[in-house]
Amino acid sequence: MKRRFGIAWRMGLSLALIGVLAAGLTGYWGYGESRKLLRSAAEERLLTATRVLGRQLTVGLGSAAQDVRLIAAHPGTRHLLVSRDTAAVARGNETLALLFDSMLRTHPEYYQMRLISARQHGLELVRVDRSNGGVLRVLGDDLQEKGLYAYVVDTLRLPPGAVYVSRAEINHEVGAHAGLGKPSLQVATPIHGDDAEVLGVIVVNIDLNGLFAQLAADLPADLSLFLSNGEGDFLIHPDPRQAFAFDRGQHSRVQDSFAGVSELLSQARERQAQVVTTTTATSVHAAGPGRASEEDQLVAAFVRQPLAGLHSEDDFIIGLAQPLSAVLADSARLGRTNLRIVLAFSALAVLVAVVLARALSRPLEQIVDAIRHFGRDQAVARLPLHRRDEIGVLAHSIDEMQHQIRGQFAKLAQKQDELDRLASHDTLTGLPNRRLFFDRLHLALARAKRHQTHLALLYIDLDNFKDINDTLGHAAGDAVLCAVGQRLSQLVREADTVARLGGDEFIVLLDGAEDEHAIAQVTQRVREALAKPVLYQRTELQCDGSVGMSRYPDDATEVGDLIAAADHAMYAAKAAGRQRIRIASPTSADAAG
Amino acid sequence: MFKLLPKRIWATLAWCCGVWLAQASDVHGASDATLRVLAWPGYAEPEVVRAFAARMGVRVDVTVVDTDEALWRRLHAAANARSQEGFDVFAVNTAELQRYVASNMVQGIDVRRIPNTRQQLPRFRDRAAIPGLVRQSTQGEQVYGIPFTYSAMGLIYDKHQLHEPPSSITALWDPTLQGKVIVYNGGTHNFSLAAMAMGWTSPFRYAAAQWPAGAEKLIALRRNAVAAYTQPAESVRLFMRHRAALMFANYGMQQFHLLKAAGADVGYVIPEEGALAWLDCWAIPRNAPHPQLAHAWIDHLLGRDAGTLLVQRQGLSNTVSEARTDAPPQRLLWLAPVEDASRREMLWGRIRSGDRIGKVMAP
Repeated sequence: MKRRFGIAWRMGLSLALIGVLAAGLTGYWGYGESRKLLRSAAEERLLTATRVLGRQLTVGLGSAAQDVRLIAAHPGTRHLLVSRDTAAVARGNETLALLFDSMLRTHPEYYQMRLISARQHGLELVRVDRSNGGVLRVLGDDLQEKGLYAYVVDTLRLPPGAVYVSRAEINHEVGAHAGLGKPSLQVATPIHGDDAEVLGVIVVNIDLNGLFAQLAADLPADLSLFLSNGEGDFLIHPDPRQAFAFDRGQHSRVQDSFAGVSELLSQARERQAQVVTTTTATSVHAAGPGRASEEDQLVAAFVRQPLAGLHSEDDFIIGLAQPLSAVLADSARLGRTNLRIVLAFSALAVLVAVVLARALSRPLEQIVDAIRHFGRDQAVARLPLHRRDEIGVLAHSIDEMQHQIRGQFAKLAQKQDELDRLASHDTLTGLPNRRLFFDRLHLALARAKRHQTHLALLYIDLDNFKDINDTLGHAAGDAVLCAVGQRLSQLVREADTVARLGGDEFIVLLDGAEDEHAIAQVTQRVREALAKPVLYQRTELQCDGSVGMSRYPDDATEVGDLIAAADHAMYAAKAAGRQRIRIASPTSADAAG
Repeated sequence: MFKLLPKRIWATLAWCCGVWLAQASDVHGASDATLRVLAWPGYAEPEVVRAFAARMGVRVDVTVVDTDEALWRRLHAAANARSQEGFDVFAVNTAELQRYVASNMVQGIDVRRIPNTRQQLPRFRDRAAIPGLVRQSTQGEQVYGIPFTYSAMGLIYDKHQLHEPPSSITALWDPTLQGKVIVYNGGTHNFSLAAMAMGWTSPFRYAAAQWPAGAEKLIALRRNAVAAYTQPAESVRLFMRHRAALMFANYGMQQFHLLKAAGADVGYVIPEEGALAWLDCWAIPRNAPHPQLAHAWIDHLLGRDAGTLLVQRQGLSNTVSEARTDAPPQRLLWLAPVEDASRREMLWGRIRSGDRIGKVMAP
């Protein structure tokens, strides 16, 4: 079982880990980059929207400038300021008032339009105010002297055709009707006489909030609009308490909420500049607790919008802010998709790793099994020999090694057999030698003792062997020995043992020799076999032999005694004149004649 | 890496805990309290505010006022609002303070809790001798204001356009300076100014018959002027922008100092009719949410740092060191309560907006 978590599985695990890690890292990195891209794209969009808004402001104020310029340039207007014909002036005033009236009706962002004289301390000559949803002409004593206001003082100093744009302020002029107490802006242009003498000004009061309500009408709901003056004082803020704080003696500045804007404010005027900055929503809505969560960040784009071609007393900084969460909404979706892809690829990586691990572990297991079996019984198990990879090479090498080992083992066993045989058999006759015979005799005697059976020993000595050896040579002697050994082997039962003790002495162990008759038969056949001549090189050699027999338990009960008894009987037979059988026991008669 | 981090994380956590504990154990949990201050331009400079906020562990919310009328309106609004919306401490001149005392809008100040009063010059320590600061009540002597700064409302003139310093207030009406004069946008003082210009003995008390003449005089002043200001910095901007020759210095030396700093070659003069002078005090509204903090604030503002800033940056005088004298004391008209501040403001509002006399004096 331990093998289950072996190298293949470890490799599989590593592969799976690497796969999952690679998928995860790729996903994470890709997500981060995409998020960055999305964010910068969103910032770019925000900046563009802000620039467009700034441009619209220029266009909006430009159109007001166009209006005042048009009226100022009209000869009739100038006529009103220089004519001494009271009736004509009254009629002209009436006409101009009607014009103002219709302009106020078509421009909802206009609070007030006036013709103001340069003389009489800036007395208003024609004035039309927006009032209670309608339009009202201001007459008589209600007309005021505006010589102390910058939009008169500064405009009178301008060259013909130039247009003055005031700072955005809360209108505190008593009797200003709808515009009273409201954020407003004056756009004015001087009226010059024929001799370049300045005669008066045409002023239009613009509703700052109304103007921006128009400009920002098409903006998405999650965008907040900010407007500040050149010092950074908020003029428009989603939280009305922050707008025009300076008018109430308080401080609420854009650079305090959006730190990035300070660089915009420090730049030279009359140059368009822009910045994108991030801030926490709480720093913007500091006065409104619970309106935004702490982590909720705002991305804001600010543009310093110079009013090209206009004599503006101040700059406008326009800003649009959007919650970061809205900016990153797309990226959250992207993140989820990314996560799914990462999970899918991780699963795939795990699957591939499992398959790979199995593909690797299976042949290895096969090889290990094969080696284990071989070690046990040298059986050849199936090896993955069909493979062409390293595992195939390994299998082939092991297969080859197994074959080699098996061949060597076979040879070794054969040699062992031969050695065993040499150690226990007589090399000439192939009969068991003395050592083997004694082993068998010990065994047979032990068996006979245990089972109370009988056994008999026949001690045989060839009678004429020495003569044959001396006269005909050793080869002839050997032939005789071989022939005798062969004959003896053939005439005993399988359980019996015929051995050569050395020289011309043989011995026969007859196991289970209870049957006297059978023993007599065997001894008879032994005698006959000995008596038969041996054919050697077409010569019949007559060698005969003497046989001594001893029996267990009749003659002796121990191996040595038994052999000695047989030996004695054999010598007795030899002494009695050869070619006879002598039984060791004194009771037995001479069996042969 | 994993083994390296924990040490640092633990150190950071320990630090955070320490900071949190230090803040939590601060002065009777005052860390979420906000001291709301109503002050005049230059009184509560950012570094002074920061130092106080850091020392006491509180937030400080400063609202700047630029007319007595605005101050009155704000405190009135706060007095009627919920107590949390109220102001804790405000700066007001001695004349105006009497109005607040009379309306029961201020509370007595415990001078023992403002140790820095002992550093003040003797004439400011003798509070009973300054009209309006002290009132006898059933509990004995009650102090309602601690003197903080003072100045005279002289004239500032451009040395290049006026080779001689203007000797009289009437220079503001000089037709040769038409379009070169800058006035203050505040009714109470302007009516006093008009009265002085006309040689009336008590500029703070208009008799019923005097109103049209005073209004006429101010309409004439408006017609001679090119701009009106409310704040010192604004006055400097307007003075430079319109290359003005003469300016009524409602903030006195403070404006002179700022103009000098802006590079203008100007002079400062107390006209022969004398000059209105004001002594601003710190006072505590009756419904102040944090009177203890208010006492600490007053003590802080009487301290060396705040006092030095007042002199160096604003050109104003403080009450602990003798000022570089700007006027012989006998020519100073210390502000006194006016007969009807709201009427003065209402009339001036109309005059400022350009109404002519018929309309200004209309009911």
